[in-house]
Amino acid sequence: MIRYALRYLNLMVLTLLVLSVVSFALAYWFPGDPLTNLSGIQEATPQTERFLAEKYATEHNLFVQYWHYMQLVFSGDWGVSFSSGLPLYDEITLALPATLELCAYAFLLSLIVGIPLGFIAGLKHYTGTDYTVLSLSVFSYSIPAFWLALILILIFCLQLGWLPLSGRINLLFDVPHQTGFIVIDILLSDIQNKSAALNDAFRHLVLPTISIALINTAITVRLARRSIIDVMSKGYIIAARSRGLTNNQILWKHGVRNTLLPILPLIAAQITTLITNAMVIETIFSWPGIGNWLIQAIYQRDYPAIRAGMLAVSSFVVILTVSIELITRLLDPTRDKNERGTI
Amino acid sequence: MARFNLYDEEFFPSPWQHTWRTFKQSHIAMTGLILLIFFSLTAVIGPFLAPYDPVEQNTNSLLVPPAWFDSGTIAHLFGTDAVGRDMLSRVIYGCQVTFGISILLVIIAMIVGVSLGAVAGMTKGVRSSILNHLLDSLMAIPTLLIAIVIVAMLGTGLVNSMWAITLALIPQFVHGTRDFVRDEMKKEYVLAARLDGAGKSFLFFQSILPNMIELLVVQATFALSTALLDITALGFLGLGAQPPLPELGVMLSAGLEVAYIAPWNLAIPGICIFLMVLAVNLVGDGLRSAVRKRMSS
Amino acid sequence: MPMLDIKNLTLEIDTPVGWVKALDRINLTLEKGEVRALVGESGSGKSLIVRAIVGSVPDNWRLTADRLSWKGESLLSMNAEQRRKIMRKEIAVVFQNPQASLDPSATLGDQLEESIPAHLLAGKWFWQRNAERKALASKVLHKVGIKDHQDCLQKFPHEVARDVNHKMMIAMALVSEPELLIADDPTRGMEATTKVQLLKLLTRMNQTKELSILFISHDLLAISSMANTMTVLYCGQTVESGKMKQLRKRPLHPYTKALLDSAPSFRKELPVKSDLSALDGTIPTLQHLPIGCRLGPRCPRAQKECVKVPAVRRIHEHYYSCHYPLHRDKL
Repeated sequence: MIRYALRYLNLMVLTLLVLSVVSFALAYWFPGDPLTNLSGIQEATPQTERFLAEKYATEHNLFVQYWHYMQLVFSGDWGVSFSSGLPLYDEITLALPATLELCAYAFLLSLIVGIPLGFIAGLKHYTGTDYTVLSLSVFSYSIPAFWLALILILIFCLQLGWLPLSGRINLLFDVPHQTGFIVIDILLSDIQNKSAALNDAFRHLVLPTISIALINTAITVRLARRSIIDVMSKGYIIAARSRGLTNNQILWKHGVRNTLLPILPLIAAQITTLITNAMVIETIFSWPGIGNWLIQAIYQRDYPAIRAGMLAVSSFVVILTVSIELITRLLDPTRDKNERGTI
Repeated sequence: MARFNLYDEEFFPSPWQHTWRTFKQSHIAMTGLILLIFFSLTAVIGPFLAPYDPVEQNTNSLLVPPAWFDSGTIAHLFGTDAVGRDMLSRVIYGCQVTFGISILLVIIAMIVGVSLGAVAGMTKGVRSSILNHLLDSLMAIPTLLIAIVIVAMLGTGLVNSMWAITLALIPQFVHGTRDFVRDEMKKEYVLAARLDGAGKSFLFFQSILPNMIELLVVQATFALSTALLDITALGFLGLGAQPPLPELGVMLSAGLEVAYIAPWNLAIPGICIFLMVLAVNLVGDGLRSAVRKRMSS
Repeated sequence: MPMLDIKNLTLEIDTPVGWVKALDRINLTLEKGEVRALVGESGSGKSLIVRAIVGSVPDNWRLTADRLSWKGESLLSMNAEQRRKIMRKEIAVVFQNPQASLDPSATLGDQLEESIPAHLLAGKWFWQRNAERKALASKVLHKVGIKDHQDCLQKFPHEVARDVNHKMMIAMALVSEPELLIADDPTRGMEATTKVQLLKLLTRMNQTKELSILFISHDLLAISSMANTMTVLYCGQTVESGKMKQLRKRPLHPYTKALLDSAPSFRKELPVKSDLSALDGTIPTLQHLPIGCRLGPRCPRAQKECVKVPAVRRIHEHYYSCHYPLHRDKL
């Protein structure tokens, strides 16, 4: 068991190492002076230049530079952005939780709606309910996420005026930043109208979450449906019936567990698509998340921002994916523990 | 009783014929196939049939609605956009660009991915496991991020976004191929071929590849739908194809600006993308069901 | 009155070429305390009979019978809940492949304990009942021959050896104290020692508790040592049925004779390099079922008459359906 965990940790560390090397190398691969790309300070005076050269060790060879770079990354000094001049670390820690909040809600929504719907469709498969669910799911995951967002905006914001168009919360509410998750921040803060603020935050959350969640829900429904159809036709279900267990007992005790265990890694693998979609949707809704920030950065050719943002997002995704894979492997009694670990 | 047959001959279908027959029986999958063929034809011969040049701006007819509205004309079947370009021609050329490029990317990714996956699956040792780990981790990085990095390095443009999307598609093929090859290498028919003296490339091309083709086709359809969505997303964000190139994502972002007064600029390219992706997904689903039915019966 | 009474059971399967009769007018009876063997080649439909009795018939199958009754009550006209109760308390089934019949994500102990029906437990509170469940589980494991119970109960099916799985399946069947045990090829692929243990256990249960056993197999050696009566099945039709001794001494159907001859008996003096006795050809598949008596194409005694399905005839409890049985001369 420990060997397993070590293997995965090994994998994670290796990947993070590669990512950090790439992020360092990008300073050289991006157009422009590498030192400028690393530090973010343009138009530096000669004195500042010497200071920076000292800090980033540009006089020495690449390995020393990389070592200095890693030290700076771990200490929180990620350089400064070209366009805003603010420290990158602060900007990223402001923007990343916003995206995470959106993704977390969308993921939860897709699980809560998708898995039961998939079960119902699978248990009644080849009937009317099943065909309806299947058609809906194929339509849903064929829609481009950004087009769906635009259509929803057209209908709900512009025609009907029910829901707000952009941003996370009405600017009249001044919610202090504590964790970056707006719902938690509202609950933790002490502004007067907490319920009004929460209501407003939810109204801002609805459209972006639905745009992202629809696609993942459709995929989850299909995975769950296929898994339960496979499980219900297996020998041990027939054997359980022959022992006289009730349908409910068979479904809940034997069916559900065996259905969910194989598809958990697949569901976790959708996190990447979720984040990609979230990044695009953020630009449409002007959601102050990391996707929007990165895309603005690239419009303005803000190279240090791109480097730092890329490192932050990809490290986060890798850590999350590997952890989920590790947890599922550890919790799953049916896996052969001697299998080689792969992501 | 059995159907009447004058000559009671045995018909044993080959795996492909079996899959095709099962595929044909599903009406939905056939609809998807017909749509797909329609789009392919549009991509190939459409430009010869398009009434106008897609980049020609006609300042006399700006924002003309499609022909089924009162104020539309037959001359512009789908209306025009904000600078007077005909929507129908743009959509036809857009199909060519979007669809054609997606297919090209999928083919390139498939060739590269399958070769890498085959090498990774058939060899053992430290080198291959490092390769495996690296490619697995590459799969975990979101497409958009790779695209942003590459665009930052090389600049915007369709070609650069193509690199990005190919890089994002390759890991899926590698992963699938490697798993499949690794499983097949443990099977006994491969062992039999090896005992006969087969070398590695013979094993791959003659023994394993024919079994893999169905899996590859199914994977290719899913990669195609991913590629379509990604190309349009990058075009929409302005990171891929640039205006005035008639790419469907670019048209969507242009339509966004006039969405309130001319919603068809937004709706028509979007419906086009939706139908393309839907067609690919229906065909992919149909193929996957057909393969599964063949394997289980 | 027989406990299990099956008369003219027909099972039709919906295939792309039409409805195909996988089981064609099967007859089977089982008395209390009787061990009946159901013999037939693979593909003759033995497992289908088990599924028909158990009731897990998928929707594209059609089941019709003149009589399919358990202790006098017709199984076909019962609703699902009553049938389930019967399956829980009175009938137990042991399936073929133990690995496929055990839930891979539940421990063996869990699965064994959930097979214990409530009427065997005397306690009132749930902790008493749980303790009783555990005690019963250990007892039955001991009876079946598994040495270390506690260790075994915590493990998962893929972690223990195959024959432990096998014994666990039998334990799960026996723990509910059934009146009928249907054993679907339980000794397939077993080593000789385990096979002997299992057969001894079944015989003992049959003698002490009057457990009726329907033993489905094609292992003639195992069967001949244990069974009282035998039914021979070929390609979905019952060809002969009667007492074991009589069938062995004087088989009336050509197929029974071929089956009995094909079991290698090292007592008989076989001349050097002689052919082993077997029928030509193979069992037909579902798509190519012959009309009339399905042994027709392979039978050495077949005549023109054999395109009609033979009626069931009887000599003193020995039923057979053949136009030209072995006690009549070939014409």
